[in-house]
Amino acid sequence: MRRATYEKGDRRVGYLWVLPALAFMVAFIGYPIVYNLILSFQKVDVMNIKTAVKPFIGIDNYKEIFSGDVLSTSVMNTLFFTIGCLVLQFSIGFALALFFTSGFRLQIRLRGLLTVAWMVPSTVVALLFKFMLSPSCGILNYILVGIGILREPIGWLTSSSTALWGTIIANTWIGIPFNMILLTAGISGIPDELYESAAIDGATSAQRFFWITLPLLKPAMYAVLILGFVYTFKVFDLIYVMTNGGPVHATEVLSTYAYKLSFERFHFSEGAAAANVLFACLFIVALGYLRLVRGDEEIRA
Amino acid sequence: MRKFLLLSIGLVMLAGLCFAQPVEIKVWHYWGGFEAVPFQAVIDGFNASQTKAKAVAQYLPREELNRQYTIGLAGGNLPDVAMVDNPDHASYAAMGLFLDITDRVKAWEGYGKFFEGPWLSCTYQGKVYGVPQNSNCLALYYNVDMLKAAGVNPPATWDELAAAAKKLTKSGVYALAISAIGNEEGTFQYLPWLLSSGATITKLDSPESVKSLTFLTNLVKNGFMSSEVINWTQADAEKQFATGRAAMMVNGPWNLQAVQTDAPSMNWYLAKIPKDKKYTSVLGGENMGITATSQYPNEAWSFLKYMSGTSVMESYMTTSGKFPPRSDVMNGSDFWKSDRLLKVFADQMQFAMPRGPHPRWPDISNAISTALQEALSKTKTPGQALKDAQVKVTKALSS
Repeated sequence: MRRATYEKGDRRVGYLWVLPALAFMVAFIGYPIVYNLILSFQKVDVMNIKTAVKPFIGIDNYKEIFSGDVLSTSVMNTLFFTIGCLVLQFSIGFALALFFTSGFRLQIRLRGLLTVAWMVPSTVVALLFKFMLSPSCGILNYILVGIGILREPIGWLTSSSTALWGTIIANTWIGIPFNMILLTAGISGIPDELYESAAIDGATSAQRFFWITLPLLKPAMYAVLILGFVYTFKVFDLIYVMTNGGPVHATEVLSTYAYKLSFERFHFSEGAAAANVLFACLFIVALGYLRLVRGDEEIRA
Repeated sequence: MRKFLLLSIGLVMLAGLCFAQPVEIKVWHYWGGFEAVPFQAVIDGFNASQTKAKAVAQYLPREELNRQYTIGLAGGNLPDVAMVDNPDHASYAAMGLFLDITDRVKAWEGYGKFFEGPWLSCTYQGKVYGVPQNSNCLALYYNVDMLKAAGVNPPATWDELAAAAKKLTKSGVYALAISAIGNEEGTFQYLPWLLSSGATITKLDSPESVKSLTFLTNLVKNGFMSSEVINWTQADAEKQFATGRAAMMVNGPWNLQAVQTDAPSMNWYLAKIPKDKKYTSVLGGENMGITATSQYPNEAWSFLKYMSGTSVMESYMTTSGKFPPRSDVMNGSDFWKSDRLLKVFADQMQFAMPRGPHPRWPDISNAISTALQEALSKTKTPGQALKDAQVKVTKALSS
């Protein structure tokens, strides 16, 4: 009985402690989201942004953007871009993480050097890759033509079929160190005793990898993938600088589309609706992640 | 008693100082690099010319500046004087960014002295919302040595251009560079071709329009123009020309200095953009207006008047490589007639057509640049691309 009241009092104090954080979240995270949601159901454009008359028009903005083909192109591009980047940067990052935890001299220094890619501002990376992928002066075409893989240079960013790959290559380059560092931390966290005892029991290195490293690395992998997904899904500056969504929407992603609707064409409500589509996609992914993590914890418990 | 007297005199002096403190006029612009210096001279000149107001210039990159205006409109921070690209002026006037200065303007000596195109771009529904800050247009830059080596004259017509392009294209050198990027810049560069064919912006699916877009598409198809143009800004086109990877380019006077700096030893000159039916160019330039939220509209108006005065305008234009939007300044000086390079632009200027003005110009422009990209990237035929663009333009004009 006494314990129950104690808990109750504790909980009340607890609410008090979370109050500042809650207020912060409501003001700085909740308000923009709600405002954007309201905006997406109103008709706000060049004619009435400054007037008080902002009529509600239901889901007309969503109808409008879904009726065009740019939104579906953007959604598909965003998904393709995200999954393409995740697969590449995760597998390469994982391989490098394994390599850099194998225990050789200079490994910490070399690993540090590799993280430079992640520290370079993405607009700079975008410009670098724009030059490297150029058909007239880019090094990639020079090499590929030089060793005979290509007969003539490809305009990576100017052809609709390769432009998205061009941006994926650039973003993968940024993402590899991020994956590598987090996975390295995860691998270093696995106690050496486990490997030693497995080795004594006669486990091969493949067995040790699949039965020790992979299962124990699962939480780190989830974290890397979900963070990578969110980070990649809302890509903006890289694509804005490299291709500006072009040629002809071939690299248009949800964020660039929403930006252009709002700030280049002044269709503020439609821009808000497009941004909400982006938000909804990420929200679903986040819910899925929470479920996955919770399920995992329950199994372990 | 004496102490009291001294104290009160001191207080009065202090109060006087406070009153004499000039009010601050915030001026937002996007003149960076080369272009910032002459504009700062105008600001400094204004501050030295009077004591009531002190203008303070704030540079923001163009996209960021536009974003700040829209955010400011929804309830935020705005300057007293705002600069906008002239095709956007009507949109911002419709959005309520600018103060209606029709009455002030009509009582001003400068009223009626501006060229029609730039002046109209400051108006919306018959009212005046700003003054033109500068004008520019596009012309053809060409590499004299390359043309000589290929044995061609600077092309004056589309046919001559196509013939010259064939001779000028070599390995590593394209005949022509333009910017066909998917935004206002691409539209700006395409309009001279579109309008030269006799087409109009409100009838994009006409045979004339299709002819103009087909002409450019064929330049890419035949390898005379890089397929990369759909990703190039005008600054990128300038780099191609300056590094000798393009024999000709279409660009504005703001890049004269860039070419001189990037390629000091190159032998190049200017010509009018080759024509189909008539010579055309497109009117570029910036306008400045007083924001509707400004607390000091009178002081802001003094600034605009100072900036647009004949002598200040003339010295700004001659140092910045831009063109005066006032006809009395342009005609009253020998500068634009005597300068070897600028006189070509001055000649081209008389054919420059304004964009809009229309509050839905961004939609119209988007339709045009999308069609340009679709055709040049071979996603659609020129005819189909323009037909789709016309649907968008019709919708924008009717909403």
